[in-house]
Amino acid sequence: MFFKPLDLTTALRPALLPDETLLFVQDAVGLYEGKYKIPNYQNGHAYLTSHRVCYVAVEEPRKYSVGIDLKEVDRAEYQAGFLKSSPKITLYPKPPKSTLSKSKSAGASPSRGQSPSISASRPQIQPTPPKPINATWVCPICSFSNPVPSNFDPSTATVSTPIPPCLACGIKPPLATLLKAVITATANREGPATQTNPTLPGTEGSAPAKGPGIVPYPDKAQVSCPRCTFVNHPSLAECEICGASLVATGALKSTKIGSYRAESPAPVFAHNSIKSTEITDCMKLSFRAGGIQIFHERLKGALIQRKWLLYDAPPVPQQPSQSNSMPSPGLTVTSPAIGSVPSPSRSPGVGIAGLEQRGLQARKNNELVIGNAFEDLEALMASAKQVMALAASMRDSGMTSGDVSGEANAVLLESAETMGMVTTKDMLGSGAGSLYISELSRNLAEYLTDDRKGLLNKEGGIISLIDLWAIFNRSRNGVELVSPLDFQKAAELWETLRLPVRLRQFKSGLFVVQRWDWSDEETLRKIQGWMAELRQVPPTEPISWDWRQFGRAVTAQEAAQRFGWSVGVAAEELEMAEDKGVLCREEGIEGLRFWANFLSDAPVVGDLGLSRIALDEVDRPI
Amino acid sequence: MTTAPPFQFPSTYSFPPFFTPQPNSATRTSQLQKWSSLVQSWCRHHRIYRLTLSDAIESPLFYNSALRKRLSMKDARDVLDWMAKSEEEGGGGQRAEWIDGNSKTVARIWWKRPEEWAGIVADWVENTGQKNVVLTVYELIEGEGAMSQEWHGMDTDVMLKSLNVLVKRGKAQVFGGEGQEGVKFF
Repeated sequence: MFFKPLDLTTALRPALLPDETLLFVQDAVGLYEGKYKIPNYQNGHAYLTSHRVCYVAVEEPRKYSVGIDLKEVDRAEYQAGFLKSSPKITLYPKPPKSTLSKSKSAGASPSRGQSPSISASRPQIQPTPPKPINATWVCPICSFSNPVPSNFDPSTATVSTPIPPCLACGIKPPLATLLKAVITATANREGPATQTNPTLPGTEGSAPAKGPGIVPYPDKAQVSCPRCTFVNHPSLAECEICGASLVATGALKSTKIGSYRAESPAPVFAHNSIKSTEITDCMKLSFRAGGIQIFHERLKGALIQRKWLLYDAPPVPQQPSQSNSMPSPGLTVTSPAIGSVPSPSRSPGVGIAGLEQRGLQARKNNELVIGNAFEDLEALMASAKQVMALAASMRDSGMTSGDVSGEANAVLLESAETMGMVTTKDMLGSGAGSLYISELSRNLAEYLTDDRKGLLNKEGGIISLIDLWAIFNRSRNGVELVSPLDFQKAAELWETLRLPVRLRQFKSGLFVVQRWDWSDEETLRKIQGWMAELRQVPPTEPISWDWRQFGRAVTAQEAAQRFGWSVGVAAEELEMAEDKGVLCREEGIEGLRFWANFLSDAPVVGDLGLSRIALDEVDRPI
Repeated sequence: MTTAPPFQFPSTYSFPPFFTPQPNSATRTSQLQKWSSLVQSWCRHHRIYRLTLSDAIESPLFYNSALRKRLSMKDARDVLDWMAKSEEEGGGGQRAEWIDGNSKTVARIWWKRPEEWAGIVADWVENTGQKNVVLTVYELIEGEGAMSQEWHGMDTDVMLKSLNVLVKRGKAQVFGGEGQEGVKFF
């Protein structure tokens, strides 16, 4: 288990991987390595995600932030607080029991990213072709362990897929049961594959002394059965009680650690940073401001759910059988054991017929994905990845075809991506009102500065708080809406949290959001440039003043159009400029219009100064 | 006097925002100064000593027919109010004075302050060698000797105010009664 360096977002929160979701956040957390406090890591936010536990310090977050992959965590223990000691959660790493890793850590030099070891372990991570899954499902009626049929594919299975009944009682299981069983089994699938790997040429170099036979079994460790938790003797291949296979679990551990080593960054940081250092014994999170119960609960949940397996799983194969099974559409769904059957060569489509055929095929595929997804909620979760991809592609095609409501659609569809990033109240402890606000504040800052959406840029660098509130809540798809009060509080925190956006209040009380480096001077410069420009352009209709000297009047609407602001913002910016003496107003039947300020003498060049002339005239004796 | 060249309005007069009271205090002050100058030079040009507000807002002074912009009665009164205040009070240096007190419909415009008038008159008396000569006020205003002078045709009240300044300085003495005032310069 390693402390890994973290990528932080602009709002100083950990950047989530694709598919990773935020589960819980707690502030005032300290880190321990073994029994010892780690200096500089004693006051920060702990982020629990579906894949990691991340720590981000309050002071100097870019320097002091680490993450631990949950997949390397063996178990988490809860330790209650006692007197002055805060309650803690201890994370134990998966024991490095395999001889493969032992030989490396003992024999090799401390730098872990050696090239031979990389080349040695690479073949292990390469996805093996899908094999018949050796999974069992437990019948919910009679609790008999049935084997999952070898042709069952979780990625294509629907309710209509034929499912064999229970061998004991003859009742068909629900699809969800089967899906779960397969997903659990996917975790163990790579076990047997790795076991055979050391015999491959090229891997010999890393563990030359050990024969492949010794690999799966650690010396003294006992193997607990993954199904019934009975602790078996290590030399047993099957559980004594329930008969489940034990080989996979033992080998799995070695695989995990072995494959991990390859991807951990080689250089150890020169300064005394803990990043990339290995945790040998255990590490602790000390909860100084509560929240430990929920954190522990969700951590346990995450360790059981093992979402990272979904991410690591090979991408769901396309439906290759469709192109040639077109004449008989009834057969399309029942495509068994995709991996084992060599995919039939795509019929070469030429010309319009080919295009049509491809379009038809794509539509079929989309139908299938959507159909799969919505038939069962469990199945929806299983195919969430595909649906996301589909939504993204739909959005892209919608954008390119230039539809009218493109913007609204984009916002709605993008919400699917942002769903993983939002902080909701239930991610945080009950008593953590201020933490919720600060997390929301960071969340908002990320949302605003997200380059993909470019929300601020689209709005001319400034957006009113109300508009932002509406857009933000819409992107949450109507769940976990943020109250206006919380929203404003969160926005007010940007300044103290030193985030790259700022809340600002105009004289009239309108709140707007802008980048932190946005300044009035910049706006004034823009407006002045515009005014100078207007003095160059001859007016379209005859006017009674000298346009070369005064230019013409502008309204808030025109300013909004020119700078991409909303009208409310434009009105406020113009009044701000008036307040600074750059503009002056004219109230007429057309409404309020603004002019370059030729009334004040000082800042404006080109005005001859009426008062001076007049006084000269008066003083001159006749 | 009717053959005099038409009044040259300053450029600001054709600047539309000139006719809208500005909310920004700095801009407003500048705007009022410009109005004050305009009113003074307008009155000087037309030899106006008392300005009746209801007439003035229909005159080109407060009504720009080319722009179709005007100062409202209230705004015009604000301008004159500002002119009436002393500079210490943030006003225009007592260049105007309400004649009818609080109803504020007629104002005297001091395009020269009484002190300035007094200086000019005293200089003229000295230059023309009329010290220790008794002059009537009517003579001073309408007399042939003063025909070429700036105060020719001046309001009697204005002249008396100016002479009073000289009296206080001990340079003149005013005697006689209502409508029959005479003055003697020392």
